Amino acid sequence: MQATSMSFFVEPVNADTAVIKIGQALDFRNAAEFKTTAQDQVRSGIQNFILDFTDTGILDSTGLGSVFSLYRQVSPLSGQVVFASVSRPVQVVVQLTRTYKVFRQFPTVDAAREGIR
Amino acid sequence: MAEYSILVVEDEHTLRRLLEYKLGKQFRVLTAENGVEALKMLDQELPDLIISDIMMPKMDGFTLQAAIQDKEETRAIPFIFLTAKADEGSQLKGRRTGVDDYITKPFDIDQLISRVQRLLERTKIFRTQLDARIGEDFSKKLMPKSLPNVSGYRTIFYNQPREHGGGDIFDWTEIRPGTFFITVGDVMGKGLQAKFYAFSFLGYIRSTLHTMMQTTESPAELIKRVNQVLIDDPPLEDTFASLLVMRWEPAKNEIVYANAGHCRPILIGPDNADVATYSDIILGLDYAAEFKDTLLTLSPGSTVIAYTDGILEQVMKNGEQLGEEGIIETVTAVANSKEPVDDMLHRILRNSKSPAFGDDVLVFWLERLAESTEEAPREQKPESVDREAIDRDPAPRAAKVSDDAADATAATEDSAAAATDATAATDVSSSCDGCRRR
Repeated sequence: MQATSMSFFVEPVNADTAVIKIGQALDFRNAAEFKTTAQDQVRSGIQNFILDFTDTGILDSTGLGSVFSLYRQVSPLSGQVVFASVSRPVQVVVQLTRTYKVFRQFPTVDAAREGIR
Repeated sequence: MAEYSILVVEDEHTLRRLLEYKLGKQFRVLTAENGVEALKMLDQELPDLIISDIMMPKMDGFTLQAAIQDKEETRAIPFIFLTAKADEGSQLKGRRTGVDDYITKPFDIDQLISRVQRLLERTKIFRTQLDARIGEDFSKKLMPKSLPNVSGYRTIFYNQPREHGGGDIFDWTEIRPGTFFITVGDVMGKGLQAKFYAFSFLGYIRSTLHTMMQTTESPAELIKRVNQVLIDDPPLEDTFASLLVMRWEPAKNEIVYANAGHCRPILIGPDNADVATYSDIILGLDYAAEFKDTLLTLSPGSTVIAYTDGILEQVMKNGEQLGEEGIIETVTAVANSKEPVDDMLHRILRNSKSPAFGDDVLVFWLERLAESTEEAPREQKPESVDREAIDRDPAPRAAKVSDDAADATAATEDSAAAATDATAATDVSSSCDGCRRR
């Protein structure tokens, strides 16, 4: 009955940008936690998010929904959400939902750091 | 189990602190020194379980328990008596008032905790069952009771919601004689919440559709409007959905559709299967999103299949998701069978890693019958859902699949012969604006 704790590693880039490392899965089990993590960052002044999908094997619709919520939250603040190092399973979902139209993609986290400036 | 709260009512300070400490490792613990204090706390917050001493100043445990029994909102809270009164009399009195457990001091804390866990598990099971029931009710209401009945066409609908599934939606309406709007979608999220959103969302779509029919019959315009509603309307904030809207005019053998990030429909022609490639962004993200009406022309013997991501994401034996390629392969194999949707699902399950579907399954099959084999209109009802048969015993049905595959080969030859008729030989891919040839 214990909730699996899947915390997200956040690495600040500068005063308004941070990298969130998405682990092996972003799905119905940890989407709420992702929301909380991102919420805390927004509250502390972060507007631009680089989501690192290097290791991500599962991105389900609840997980994607939590990313969308973040986008809806930061876009009125002229913030951005970008995807870095997108794994194949994540790419499939992004293609299916045509969300590459709002989430810029970068081959690596470093490229995203450069690109988002 | 920190999601559960426990109210401990105990006048003895040391014991109260001990319980608070021990139980606090797993639960949120509230404490009260006597019955009066406990009742005050119950006015503020309802715990998931109550542990109470019997002998206490001001108000004893029996009086407290009776008061709890008198109130409707507290009556069902699991209640444990904890007391030094080991004599039979108080035990009986305790039992008679209908408490769930009676533990005498000195007691073993681990034993107490395990009883608490058992009682809370019961609560959890009740809740899950209630959720499942409500979810099932939503699911039923979300699905059609009948299907369009058009001569020269066959429609099949299959839906099997899973307990942990999400908000799949399907709806159809004949807006005027001979013109049908068919909606297939998926509201993001899982469980009861998603189903609830799906239910409300479908209401929005239906009312938008009927309002817009005064001015336009464009699926793209409809989707555009629904997208704006999703972004504008505060109650729908944080709702995202994929949506496929098809306007079907059987007399013209045409479907005009627009797609907002939904699984792309598959079009099976007499000799090939294609993905209807056109698709646009999912709803709820971009207010300025534009959508495009796309035409599919249905030649005799061709079929359009719409579905949701439960099928697309089903994990196969090789560890990969079925994907569009897998779906094309499957539907091609079953295209001419008598019960193509059943056979399609069995075929997928037979090659799946797990013997059941991991998510909601929804398939809508719309087939223009080959002209030579035009049948008398049949009674069309949604396919009866026999998930248990599918889950329980895929093997015997799988045998049936191979029989059908043999039939299919023969039938393919028939339809190939029919296709030599020049008028019937409209090439699906050339008439399908935006279809990808495989």
